[in-house]
Amino acid sequence: MNQLIQSLVDAISAGATLGLAALAIGLVFGVIRLANFAQGEIITASAYSIIFTWQLGWYVAIPIAILIGVILSLLMEVGVFSRMRMATPATLLVASFGLSFLLQRVYELFFGNNVRTAPVAPELAQSLEIGGIRVQLLSVATIIIAAVILVALVQFLNRSIWGLQLQAAAADFRIARLVGIPASRVIGLSFALSGILAAAVAFVSTVKTGAVGPPFGVPIVILALIGAVIGGIDKIYGALAGGFLVGFATSMLASWLPSDMSNFRDAYVFLLVIIVLIFRPSGLLVRGGTVRT
Amino acid sequence: MATDEIGLVVRDLTVAYSGVPAVRGIDLDVPAGHAIGLIGPNGAGKSSALLAIMGAVPHGGSVQVNGEAVDGLAPERVVRRGVSLVPEGRHVFAGLSVKDNLRLGAVGRRSSDGVAETLDYVVTLFPILAEFRDRQAGLLSGGQQQQLAIGRALMADPDILMLDEPSLGLSPTAVDSVFDALATIREAGKAVLVVEQRAEFTVAFCERTHVLHDGVITMTLKPEDATNVQVLTEAYFG
Amino acid sequence: MKERSLLWRLGPLWSLVVLLVIVYAVTVVTSYLGDSVQVQFQYALVNLVIVVALYMFIGTSGVLSFGHVAFVALGAWTVGLLTIEPELKRNLLSDMFPVLFDIQAPWFLAIFIGGLVGGLLALIVAPVLMRLNGLQAGIATFALLLVVGQVLTYWSSIGPRSGQSMVGIPDVLDLQTTMFFALGAIVVAWLFQRSRPARLLRAAREDGIAAAASGINVVTQRVIALALSGLIAGIAGGLFALTNRVVQASLLGIELTFITLAMLVLGGMLSLSGAVIGALVFSLIDLVLVRLQNGVELGSYVVSIPQGTRPIILGAILVLMLIFRPSGLTGGREIVWPFRRTPPLPGVPPTNE
Repeated sequence: MNQLIQSLVDAISAGATLGLAALAIGLVFGVIRLANFAQGEIITASAYSIIFTWQLGWYVAIPIAILIGVILSLLMEVGVFSRMRMATPATLLVASFGLSFLLQRVYELFFGNNVRTAPVAPELAQSLEIGGIRVQLLSVATIIIAAVILVALVQFLNRSIWGLQLQAAAADFRIARLVGIPASRVIGLSFALSGILAAAVAFVSTVKTGAVGPPFGVPIVILALIGAVIGGIDKIYGALAGGFLVGFATSMLASWLPSDMSNFRDAYVFLLVIIVLIFRPSGLLVRGGTVRT
Repeated sequence: MATDEIGLVVRDLTVAYSGVPAVRGIDLDVPAGHAIGLIGPNGAGKSSALLAIMGAVPHGGSVQVNGEAVDGLAPERVVRRGVSLVPEGRHVFAGLSVKDNLRLGAVGRRSSDGVAETLDYVVTLFPILAEFRDRQAGLLSGGQQQQLAIGRALMADPDILMLDEPSLGLSPTAVDSVFDALATIREAGKAVLVVEQRAEFTVAFCERTHVLHDGVITMTLKPEDATNVQVLTEAYFG
Repeated sequence: MKERSLLWRLGPLWSLVVLLVIVYAVTVVTSYLGDSVQVQFQYALVNLVIVVALYMFIGTSGVLSFGHVAFVALGAWTVGLLTIEPELKRNLLSDMFPVLFDIQAPWFLAIFIGGLVGGLLALIVAPVLMRLNGLQAGIATFALLLVVGQVLTYWSSIGPRSGQSMVGIPDVLDLQTTMFFALGAIVVAWLFQRSRPARLLRAAREDGIAAAASGINVVTQRVIALALSGLIAGIAGGLFALTNRVVQASLLGIELTFITLAMLVLGGMLSLSGAVIGALVFSLIDLVLVRLQNGVELGSYVVSIPQGTRPIILGAILVLMLIFRPSGLTGGREIVWPFRRTPPLPGVPPTNE
């Protein structure tokens, strides 16, 4: 029982992390049909900055991480993707794949192949006992952080005029422009939000590992991208739910698969993904229709 | 021929899709306080002409709004020059509330002053929008969605209102209420350009109605032609 | 006039000849440039075969695949298992199924068996994967790559334990033989692109609705294309195993996928010339960059670029190419003569340049 609850809390926390990462991908995809593989390198950049600046205090490190995430995200849009507006989603995916490779090599050049380490928020690396049940404090904190960010984001999207513009553009970009919503504004907004989400993911991930290397964001973005696609990447909440599902499933498999099979947990998840794509190509949580590609 | 007057002036407008011409040189004058109709069979180039004026598809020729050229501007910029389009099929933001749809319409205004007045004007024109302000737009009936689409376009406070087949898929009473509203809008001094399939209705309503065939204007009709079956038939099949 | 129309009709064949001559000539030239260049160019030829395999599928169907390196990996695995001495296998790969210890094949045969294994995997996954399009196909094939990578990394019953690699692959493959395999792959791809399935796929790519209306079963044609390109990719895997002589799953994953896709994009993914030219140009740039990283003496100066900049430049080339010339160096056309190009193959959409 105790073990079940522990693994559930861990799985919800893993799902929350990947949900945020997938949401970042879905926000951008909804507007410009880009499934940004290089989102992982935005996470890596924020993670490096957290490692390097943590000693200055969290109130310095976290704003800097957010700033770096937002700036790198906007730079990608201005430098690369804004020049490829006519490209198909598949071509955009290849380009973001190339950008991801390129940035990893840049990180290698600047920070070396070895991981950089720092104890980030060590006070979160404890167990917490609630009513005789021990859970990881970090898992609980991750769930809370994700929940706070989600509530804030939903409020922003539904209440503020900027959030509404983003929703309108995600629903139908062409019509949104005919109504008078500036394309560059909503695209920039979606990239900026995805940068903020990347910083959040970077924070919970660096607390967990305390170490960052050039490929830090790759496994995260692979699972998040896959989650976004199976959840329904062109629906913001579909991407979120899909990312959550993949994170949850991966974590549960890690907890409950017999040890000689747990090495293959990702393989099971990927197989599951292929099966989902075959039966629900436009996403698990999207009713009918196909993704506009 | 530049003019400083409020309204839309289109000269020698051409549109082509990967080399295939859709609009082949049309002239339009839509002065303030007038309604101009554009009718013709499917594929005649009516929607293409509207999208070209909005800057949503590339075009040749010139488009002037209130005496200033808007050629080459993106749609969101054209809206800020005072042109709003009610697109074919309405395309309200189905997942958002009526109120939020109207708020989004105001994003395209030239000045942020007077939003409340415009909103008052819109809900006076379409009281149903006030009643259902918190309802999801996707849950409205077709006629109500058309009212919302027009209301959303009006929130940008345009001088020129363009409508692409506003009667499409609506019940006769809903069509009547849409055209009643258009009459009010025209009286308020806006220039109205309406693309339609329903010839008789449009010809009767508009000061001038151009017949478009294969991308060119073949005929221009006056309201009194609306009852002349022979002329209308000729306009469509001639 | 008559001569010209004859040349016109021979055009496609001529484009094949030009490609074969280019590959042959570059190989001959590099073989005079010292051992290290020779070794590096042998890798380039292996990559060229992978790119040709990618072209056979992506170029004809228009469907994105991140999964071909999975077929390459199976080919490499097969050749490793078939060519390492049984004694060595018993010692180093002790967890394997016992039956695998004694299976041996001559290396030349092993390459083709590797091709068959790669093709078989493609044939098995194709009927389900080939229903997908666009982004979904990209993600599903990517998932395939990851599944195969995980299985090869962790399943010690068919290979080394996790973190270890297969060693002891014989040193038998030379540059010239590799070149003949590359030439063979080009000929197969050329024959394939003139075949009925390839023409149907190009037609379907250009206008899916019309193709469906005229009764073309796109899925069937795609399955054929994927199986055949999986076969070529498997052979490339065998060549890789014999060239590198160390096989490990991590060498046959995302990075190789990126490099080979970049080559295809650079050349232009809609023509065989694009695949071949892209692979060659990319490899030659890489060759130059490796020299530069080690320092090149120009008179009394030593010109060098910092370590680690090579992959950055290669990544930048891919990204810039996608921005400024998305149709690649060849623009989706076949080279007939260095100075003239054929019109795009039927079914190739107009390039927007």
